[in-house]
Amino acid sequence: MAEMVNLTIDGHEVAVPRGTTILEAAKTIGSEVPHYCYHPGMSSPAMCRLCLVEVEGAPKPMPGCVTTVMEGQVVNTQSEQALSNRRGVLEFYLVNHPLDCPICDMSGECNLQDYVHDEGREHGRGREPKRIFGRDDFGGDVLFYGDRCVMCTRCVRFMSEVEQDHRLTVVERGNRSVIDTFYDEGLDGTNWHGNIVDICPVGALVSKDFLHKARAWDLTHTPSVCTSCSQGCNIDLHTRDNLVQRIKPRENLDVNAWWICDHGRHNYEWMNRGDRLEAPVMRSDSGSQAMGWGDALRALLEKSDGGGSVKAVASAMSSNEDLGALKALVDAMGGGEILYRSARAEDEVPLRGFPLLARRKDLSANSTAADLIGANRVGADDGTGGLDEVSNHDGIVLVLNDDLADQKEDFGNNASLFVYLGTHDSPGAAKADLVLPVTSHAEGEGTFTNHERRVQRFAKALDAPGMARPAWLVLGALVAEKGEGPAPRSAADAFAAMSSSVAAFAGITWDDLGTRGAVLNESVSVTGD
Amino acid sequence: MSNVPFKNPGWAGNTGEFDLTENQIRGDDFVGERPAHGGHASGAGTMPYMLSEKQPDAPLFEGEYRERLDKVLSRYPTKQAALLPALGLAQEIRGHISPESMDEVAEALGLSPAYVRGVATFYTMYNKRPVGRHLIQVCTNISCNLAGADDVVDAFLKYTDTGLGETSEDGNFTVIEAECLAACGFPTCVQINSRYYENVTPTEVPKICEHLKGQGE
Ligand code: SF4
Ligand code: SF4
Ligand code: FES
Repeated sequence: MAEMVNLTIDGHEVAVPRGTTILEAAKTIGSEVPHYCYHPGMSSPAMCRLCLVEVEGAPKPMPGCVTTVMEGQVVNTQSEQALSNRRGVLEFYLVNHPLDCPICDMSGECNLQDYVHDEGREHGRGREPKRIFGRDDFGGDVLFYGDRCVMCTRCVRFMSEVEQDHRLTVVERGNRSVIDTFYDEGLDGTNWHGNIVDICPVGALVSKDFLHKARAWDLTHTPSVCTSCSQGCNIDLHTRDNLVQRIKPRENLDVNAWWICDHGRHNYEWMNRGDRLEAPVMRSDSGSQAMGWGDALRALLEKSDGGGSVKAVASAMSSNEDLGALKALVDAMGGGEILYRSARAEDEVPLRGFPLLARRKDLSANSTAADLIGANRVGADDGTGGLDEVSNHDGIVLVLNDDLADQKEDFGNNASLFVYLGTHDSPGAAKADLVLPVTSHAEGEGTFTNHERRVQRFAKALDAPGMARPAWLVLGALVAEKGEGPAPRSAADAFAAMSSSVAAFAGITWDDLGTRGAVLNESVSVTGD
Repeated sequence: MSNVPFKNPGWAGNTGEFDLTENQIRGDDFVGERPAHGGHASGAGTMPYMLSEKQPDAPLFEGEYRERLDKVLSRYPTKQAALLPALGLAQEIRGHISPESMDEVAEALGLSPAYVRGVATFYTMYNKRPVGRHLIQVCTNISCNLAGADDVVDAFLKYTDTGLGETSEDGNFTVIEAECLAACGFPTCVQINSRYYENVTPTEVPKICEHLKGQGE
């Protein structure tokens, strides 16, 4: 336990570990000292001068981002001196700023806009013409609007300290200073540069993908987990009009800190896919017939009786709840093999400055849970193949969330019952007796288990199309009909059912997960029950 | 004593205060030579020197210049710390620091080219574009400005028939403005290559330029 230091900030007594900065100490009483250059994930150059606070007895204002607390210190972040410091500094920030908030993507979540509105001068006094840089394409997903830059160098430090590829620099000096790469080199070929858009406190670095797409205040933020590899980065899905507009990282120091990779950041279009299955459909030689869930499930149960042994294809993109319910249903039908396929990248892409984080070779969100329910991985590293036996199986075939994209139309031809649960139709589902629409990861609640066996929750960001339902709800109802326990009514119920039946999840509850996740008991073997 | 036809040519001796002439003390080459290997390691990395002949296409850090760079590196704890003198060497050889030179310096020191660009552009004494044989930097900061520095700039531009930063057709002159040269007591101060000309007025400008033309050829 670090030694504690007692001090007073804005009249509140606080105790923080020795070595804490005033800025961080102020956060503990809910006081945000305005700042630009400071970011908790990088070094502090103390160059923006916005965090100057009054420390009683000190001869001059102190930068809160680098001044560490001292016993008995009295700090004022809201005194007349502190406010007038910031008013003055902010006036300088506007000397060359183009004041183009109405066309700036950062508007609504911009630290310059917010600070000036809160504490800046009512009117500018500048009379001189502003210097003009215009904008620069940095390559990758990044556009740079030089005139909006406050020269905090967060972006430069991210690239040099965290990604550790020193592509960005401050070029020139004084009022000609501007952020740039080595002439036309750009950021192409780097894997984490999207983060500089996130940490830029103003609208100087913006995402090309998001350019003029939505206003910040129209977006709904929903906590979620990235599905693009087994790292399980914590993210927020930003949605408007029931569409995901962009992905932003969500802080979790145990997994991804403040960062996500560019691949995961941009892999969201599939969540907005329009050609969705919207109603349960029964297929036969005489054609397809849409029906309600009750009829569909009754038909399924009827046909499954005496249908023979079960072979199931799961997806490593399915949630723990879906996989647990699938496992329970397979068991309730007399047991059978569960297979899954999962694409693998050739190399891991580490984030050098934060070694816990890498884009993993395993490009599926939930291979760990698939393994833990006893499913076997088949197929090639591109996520195809390996299903020949299932394709020709003459018993019951269940397919959950694998879109069978590489399979032929005769997949499941010999099955006594072929049930396809998915988000969209596929040629491989042509012979399915029942096609059941399920929700995507963005449309439901649930959990994933990442590469280090950390179970993390994601929330519902989009409304599901038509009659699509979470797979755990559908599968859980079937399990209940088979007489194996109550039907789950929430993702928490489904999780509880899984943790009572899959050994590796024993002893972990929905409440344990919180917003940061919980790691499964290390002593339980990976093959589970 | 002075054989120079204007009052303050950058050498106090020419005002008659000393017996020694500038020639006797340091030669009258306004641009000059110094051995490519740089002499002793302690001096090998000092300020870029204006060579009378620039070689924009010469290889950097080969032969004697490689030896010189190694001497410079031996004086610093890390390669990164030797960036300024390494850029100085590049400028001495080629006369200016082009993007290609930055890239080569980055390569030689194991730094990223972007970082080298940041450093090279921060310092105004690195020429980012080719300059003439004589680089004329006129201080236009407060004191000199009050004493009429703008007119001095105009006079140089008129004589050399160039715009700011351009090189005259004969390759002799490039005129730029400089921030304070720390000679505020002697406005207008003009730095030509590595020497100061103080109390310069527009009428002396042609004489100075004529004088320079006879130098370092
Ligand atoms: S571009 Fe943004 S992050 Fe980079 S220095 Fe400017 S304001 Fe800071
Ligand atoms: S590292 Fe993996 S989990 Fe994290 S953002 Fe990238 S793809 Fe998503
Ligand atoms: S945050 Fe302290 S000086 Fe920038």
